[in-house]
Amino acid sequence: MRLTFDLNMTGKNMIEDFRKTAPAPLAPVPFDIPQPFETELANNLKVVIFEDSRLPIVSFRLAFLSGNINDPADSKGLTSAMTSMLSEGTKSYTSRRLAEEIERLGAHISANSGQDNSIIAASALSLYTSDILRLMAEIVLYPTFPESELKLYKQNMIENLKFQRSQPGFLADEQMSRVVYGSHPYSVTSPTPDDIEKLTREKLVEFHNRRFVPNNATLIIVGDVNREDILEEISGALGDWKKGSVEKTEFETPPVRTAVTQTIVDRSGSAQSNIVLANLAIERGHPDFFPVLVMNQILGSGGSSRLFMNLREEKGYTYGAYSSFDTRRQAGTFEATAEVRTAVTGDSLKEFFYELNKIRDENVSEVELKDAKNFLTGVFPIRAETQEGLTNLIVSQKLYDLPGDYLQTYREKISQVSIEDVDRVAKKYITPDKIAIVIVGDAEEILPQIQPFSANIEIFDTEGKPQDVSNYGKQADGKTSDASGDWSLTIDFQGQSLPVKLKLEQTENKISGSLESMLGKGEISDGKAKGNKFSATAKMQIQGQDAEITINGELENDADSNQTSASNKMKGTISIPLGGVSDLPFVGIKED
Amino acid sequence: MSETFQIPPLKLEQYNLENGLRVVLNPDSSIPVVSMAVYYDVGSRNERQGRTGFAHLFEHMMFQGSENVKKAEHFQYVMKAGGTMNGTTSSERTNYYETLPANQLPLGLWLESDRMRSLAVTEENLENQRNAVKEEKRLRYDNQPYGQVFDMLTTMVFKNFANSHSTIGSMEDLDDATVEDVQEFFRVYYAPNNAVLVISGAFEPEEAKRQVEKFFAGIESQPKPPVIDVEEPAEIAENYQDYEDKLAPLPAFLIGWKIPPRRTPEFDAIYLAGKLLYDGESSRLYQKLVKGEESIVQLFGFTDERRGPSSVIIGAIPKPEQDLSKIRETMMSEIDDLATNGASAEEMQKLQNQLINDTVRSRQSSMARAQAIAEYALYDGDPTLINSELEDLLKITSEDIKTAVNKFLKTENRALLNVIPAGKN
Repeated sequence: MRLTFDLNMTGKNMIEDFRKTAPAPLAPVPFDIPQPFETELANNLKVVIFEDSRLPIVSFRLAFLSGNINDPADSKGLTSAMTSMLSEGTKSYTSRRLAEEIERLGAHISANSGQDNSIIAASALSLYTSDILRLMAEIVLYPTFPESELKLYKQNMIENLKFQRSQPGFLADEQMSRVVYGSHPYSVTSPTPDDIEKLTREKLVEFHNRRFVPNNATLIIVGDVNREDILEEISGALGDWKKGSVEKTEFETPPVRTAVTQTIVDRSGSAQSNIVLANLAIERGHPDFFPVLVMNQILGSGGSSRLFMNLREEKGYTYGAYSSFDTRRQAGTFEATAEVRTAVTGDSLKEFFYELNKIRDENVSEVELKDAKNFLTGVFPIRAETQEGLTNLIVSQKLYDLPGDYLQTYREKISQVSIEDVDRVAKKYITPDKIAIVIVGDAEEILPQIQPFSANIEIFDTEGKPQDVSNYGKQADGKTSDASGDWSLTIDFQGQSLPVKLKLEQTENKISGSLESMLGKGEISDGKAKGNKFSATAKMQIQGQDAEITINGELENDADSNQTSASNKMKGTISIPLGGVSDLPFVGIKED
Repeated sequence: MSETFQIPPLKLEQYNLENGLRVVLNPDSSIPVVSMAVYYDVGSRNERQGRTGFAHLFEHMMFQGSENVKKAEHFQYVMKAGGTMNGTTSSERTNYYETLPANQLPLGLWLESDRMRSLAVTEENLENQRNAVKEEKRLRYDNQPYGQVFDMLTTMVFKNFANSHSTIGSMEDLDDATVEDVQEFFRVYYAPNNAVLVISGAFEPEEAKRQVEKFFAGIESQPKPPVIDVEEPAEIAENYQDYEDKLAPLPAFLIGWKIPPRRTPEFDAIYLAGKLLYDGESSRLYQKLVKGEESIVQLFGFTDERRGPSSVIIGAIPKPEQDLSKIRETMMSEIDDLATNGASAEEMQKLQNQLINDTVRSRQSSMARAQAIAEYALYDGDPTLINSELEDLLKITSEDIKTAVNKFLKTENRALLNVIPAGKN
């Protein structure tokens, strides 16, 4: 009896015990990617076939080894325009008919150019393999680039550029590329509206004839196909494609960095600062690729990396902080990024520098190394789960001329990386003492916070135009305007003018006082002034409820004077938490 | 086409634990990875006034540690095993999922079970995650052009607060959340009998069952959560609103309609009508407006699929100096054409092929399968719907589309949100 009782007790404890540590894995399941079949047509088009019959679908990629950086110097945007317009009309189809033909099959064809490559991607149910291959060949070989479609492309592209300029991520990338790549064409992330205007049909036709030649391309097919059959169909569809000459372009070398620089894109109204720290690193084919991958995994890739743990989990500055290596054919960058709330821009930079220096100065631990390697080897099969994923792996291997056994030895290469390798590549490819800092956000708010990191500061507007830095940051010198006084404000509320009385007392940068309106009277206790701007909240009772009226004001100074002490005009916005009324504009005059 | 094309059905096995946890297994060993999805039956639809944003804040809390898994270790355990994971919140549910190498199935189950039975809700974690959510809101909504418009339109379409408020919620409500509130939320909604667990990928079903029993059977069930009411009157909440967006570079407008719940023949018909109207370059509105009139730069549309009344949204970013009401007239006349004449034979063939293609592709990843199965299990109580959903959609006729469009996509019951760029430039 007692024995049974004891056993039960032990049994119960054991139930609790198994939860205390992570369970051991089951027996490992091997995973191998077979080698694809490779051949070349008589016109030197390389063909890679990977038979994958898991599901009745097929994916094609026709990739050209030239991209946006191969644009002629006077025709930025040409590759991108030419590629995008392939499906806007061909010898046998109008743009509309093409779209209908492709989508009637439930299939997709898209054509895009990146910096290094231009890729036409097609996917369909395998039962439509022949149809989709025929349509893909049609747009690659026989595009007509109709004038009317080009005109529309140009109009839409120019509007899209405006849209891009409203995105903080685009602005950050634009400046980062400019600063880091200098006169290398990677510095250009997007054509300008002027570039777009200059595109002509003749240029597109000429460029298409010259660049889209089979001896500069690789066709990759993954899916439920039969090798012999598909090869025959490919020869039929693309065998007559005439060879051309492939030009080798020489590019300028990106500049050598010598000091920390800071670039701000002044995006007023920003709720956050988009921070990027960047320096040149390695190209895709570099032998340090695997050590760099492991090192970056520890520093800033994903939700358990050092940057994420510090800036998000510990400090709560951001929704996410990451680092990455962008490795291209010619060169590449290291980048550390986060979108942080404006007030902690400087504090975030401090933490970035702390982590970048730490991974250079101290060895990573055995555990960190092991965890990073386990992750990178473990996720590899997950990336090959879908046909898209598997195709992308094969495409990058072929486009970047990686070894034939690259996919087969990928996990082994990761496993071989040592602590010394990580230390060496961290020291070599992360250079905080000469890094480029780019921040997109509210320049007035950001400037005083970033002064400690480098005096080398430039400011751009969202159009990419350089600004006079001396026009900014006057408040950083301690010249804070005095908002004290009795103010009479006029608020514009849906076309009506509403009066408000504002009494302000300012001591250094602290503001107190009162606000009186038709809704009632409220006390201001925690207002703040900075430069010629101030913000304050007035707490009051409105219709029996506690409410806070928020006021953001700006004292207007004489344009041609540096006098910031006395002012008798202000403007700004006021928010009343009733019916969602926010940011009503007002103007104010000081009463004598 | 559909008669000759057979998609092999997914292998499914479903059962319940004694504590009410619903379990579905979908073995498929083509690649040695395994995905787990835990779906809790709680979303923003369960939130009441003054308590918005709780479901989503809670999703963050689920990564803050439990009895045997310390703060942030969840990420780390998954990553160092070579896996990926995340959690998301919608109006309908909160989900958590991980994909791992096949031999790490026990790890995933251990992690999910530990937080289901013993989440650590502390003042410090709560404060920290409140901040992370506020940054997420700034990043995704406040700092993006057009970032707020979908939430605004939802508020214009739905009258019932359960449906109309946003998932991210109000920051004031989040500030008011106490540790006790959050603990109570956990007790009520994060019980095994309020959840579904789906495992999809390379595993032995008997082994998986043993592991599920071991980790989940000991978790106590809880009384049923409060019943919610998501019913809606037919009419929408608000017909028209102007919104000044400081970050928007171009004007835009969005039109929303209230439509019947997901998985009803009428919803399915509207879903297909939507594909014909705005999906792809051969779609009607793309050909009319981006091409044709050349009056807009961008067209978008989608159905917001809910268990209760749902919505369909169509929007456009017009070129400068365009007459927006004329663009809307063209849109409405195209919709009216669908309501009068239905879809053409060629359009019906396109829909069939697209549905089959989409279905086959969605079967590739174990994670996508696990998530789709979990939705059917949680919303409909029937995971096998994943094997018949395609058939149901293929049954929809041109006549069905015509009738549904005619009934629901009217000018008089639409919500129109006009976005006006209000930046300094």
